[in-house]
Amino acid sequence: MAAVSLREVSVVYGDRRAVDGITLQVNPGERVALVGPSGAGKSTLLRLCNGTVVPSSGRLRVLGEDPARLPAGRLRALRRRIGAVHQQLHLIGPLRAVHNVNAGHLGRWGRWRALRSLVRPLQVGQAREALARVGIAGHLYSRTDRLSGGEQQRVALARVLVQDPDLVLADEPVSSLDPARADEVMRLLCGLMEETHRRRTLVVSLHDFDLAVRHCDRVVGLRHGRVVLDLPADEVDEQARERLYDLGPDR
Amino acid sequence: MSRGGLAALTRWEEPGRGRGRPGRWRVPGAGRAWAGAGLLVMAWSVSSWVAEDGPLVNTRGWPMFVDFFTAALKPELSADFLARIAEATLTTLSYAVLGTLLAVAVGLVAGVLTSETWWASGSGSRPRRAVRRAGWLVTRLGLALPRGIHEAVWALLLLSVLGRDPLVGVLAIAIPFGAITAKVYAEIIDEAARGPFESLRATGAGRGTALLYAVLPVALPDLASYAFYRFECAVRSAVILGMVGAGGIGFELVLSFSGARHAEVWTQVFVLVLLGAVVDRWGAGLRRSGGRVRVSGSVLLAAGLAVAALVHLGPDLARVFSARTAGLLAGLVDELWPPALPAGGWARLVADAVETLQMSLVAATLAGVAAVATAFLAARDGGGPVRRAAGAAARGLLLFTRSLPPPVWALLALFLFLPGPLPGALALAAYNFGILGRLCAEVVENLDRRAHDQLVASGAPGLSAFAYGVVPPAGGRFLSYGLYRWEVAMRETVVVGVVGAGGLGRLLEDQRVAFDFGGMAGTVLTLIVLSALVDLVSTAVRRTLR
Repeated sequence: MAAVSLREVSVVYGDRRAVDGITLQVNPGERVALVGPSGAGKSTLLRLCNGTVVPSSGRLRVLGEDPARLPAGRLRALRRRIGAVHQQLHLIGPLRAVHNVNAGHLGRWGRWRALRSLVRPLQVGQAREALARVGIAGHLYSRTDRLSGGEQQRVALARVLVQDPDLVLADEPVSSLDPARADEVMRLLCGLMEETHRRRTLVVSLHDFDLAVRHCDRVVGLRHGRVVLDLPADEVDEQARERLYDLGPDR
Repeated sequence: MSRGGLAALTRWEEPGRGRGRPGRWRVPGAGRAWAGAGLLVMAWSVSSWVAEDGPLVNTRGWPMFVDFFTAALKPELSADFLARIAEATLTTLSYAVLGTLLAVAVGLVAGVLTSETWWASGSGSRPRRAVRRAGWLVTRLGLALPRGIHEAVWALLLLSVLGRDPLVGVLAIAIPFGAITAKVYAEIIDEAARGPFESLRATGAGRGTALLYAVLPVALPDLASYAFYRFECAVRSAVILGMVGAGGIGFELVLSFSGARHAEVWTQVFVLVLLGAVVDRWGAGLRRSGGRVRVSGSVLLAAGLAVAALVHLGPDLARVFSARTAGLLAGLVDELWPPALPAGGWARLVADAVETLQMSLVAATLAGVAAVATAFLAARDGGGPVRRAAGAAARGLLLFTRSLPPPVWALLALFLFLPGPLPGALALAAYNFGILGRLCAEVVENLDRRAHDQLVASGAPGLSAFAYGVVPPAGGRFLSYGLYRWEVAMRETVVVGVVGAGGLGRLLEDQRVAFDFGGMAGTVLTLIVLSALVDLVSTAVRRTLR
């Protein structure tokens, strides 16, 4: 079963087609990079995958389910299996790092457990281990908004680790970092996909074509809401890149 | 603050805001320590009130209380009475309009003169810089005194100089509001582009010209917005001034109340709520749009209102500047100085000061807890029809509680309790609950929801996502508003004291009735010291948590 499968999916905002009849299949354990110019539909595609955007037409399956048709309880169960990393991180600034990491448990934890953990953090060992894996074990009790941008990025990654999802969606996760740091965070992110008994699926949108080729198995190029390129990373050449970014007249 | 909103406006009034690097004064565990200390003081205050000998509950007041609330259904609507109320409302509004205009004029001049930009600009020799620094400090301190004294106290002082004159209401608003406006304007000016100002100065422009060209255009929307916010406050204050004896709807309210004409009281209450709703809506609309048309329209309207107010009040300026007034003023100053101790000496003064502190703390805590609980409901965040109806009900409750001034709440509390600090604290709590609840609801509305939405998108149940993604970011703002209202409640203890609710307010009223002006001066000085103390504590709380 595919991790994500789209058949002729379109998303229409007013008279703009953000996603225009895309057919795409992402296999379990695959690391797929979405590349393309701004406004190509990368973000919309990612938001389709976690069910925050509903297709205007076409057929969508995420981890075998159609998010638009699920009742609230089953939708939550599906979302528990989908992790997300954003460019703006969406961390809770005033909370300590341990709580931001533990927020990855919220889908599984009952309400009372969640509230109790805010008073005295639960499963601290696991949180510490997750932070150690992303390289900032020392910041367990630091206030999140006092950490540097790079450190906050790692807290967001540690949260995904604790959530333990089957599918990870990352929307421009490194666009605010300098090239060297971006490379490092991408390596970390890809490293988090490898678990002992399985491999998580990763769909990541990137601005930087080279990063995509270096870290992912497959590169999908979008333009004007359409797939214009879909190649294994090792088959991507200069010609493909030019085709994607070419500034000449299109369509 | 270009994002507008009431929340952003009141932030200017907080002491010691934004100074120093965040985290510099941070003390680990400070939150728990402060919370523990606060709870201890709360427990001590309430238990000391309850333990006081003599009954606490007004056993004979209950039938009156019931009678009062049944009168809500049939307010007095006779044409005569309505005409009188309309006239009184106009008087109250006139105080607010003229008082605000005067305060803004004072604020503009004094604000420039107290801004760091004005004093610290340019280089100059060392002695000249020292003189500038001293000038800045002196003007700043000079504004602290009028600001520390509540409008009602100003009204009491002015009444003894001017007698029952409409100018008492106007000046009692203009003096303290002018001082706070000056402080806020100074902050706004300092925060607006320093760079352009310096570069104009570097090309040889004078301070005034540079300010006019480089700072004013940037600061103007904020300055205007704050002026209208002050007007909202002035309307509430004008009602209180009426209750102290300056005329207007507050005065009518006291008359009807003391005559137990509850049907009349309810008519007045409804007028106050309506007035509050209109002014709030106007201000909120102004801040939300921030459009030029709306602002210039409001400026025109303000000018029109000012003329109308002048015509309505017909103040006799000749009287103000007459030799008789000057004589009375000199006499008052003579009697105020030197300040004296009250009849009971230091013991009475300290006991009343402690009681005032307790009242303000209990009031702010009760108001804060209730406001936070209501704020999430009162915030406009969509939801189903049930959620929206509940939200509208919560907003209605907040509007109602903040539309009735604290003395009215105190009179209501006196149906149930005998005079003392408890009814005073409850009255202040009710009023500040309305104001704090509105501020907190606005914080919730303006919150960045993306962190919360991400939690929902990863499958967190609603309550958990709320507890993690909404409460912590809002908490800091809530605390800071709570502290801000604590300081305000501290000053407001005076106005509930006037109707017999205990603390320094009652002492002040006793002294006024006995014409003990030296004692009044001593009490007012004590109030200013208490304000400074509260200011210090809340700055310390903010700093150690930041």
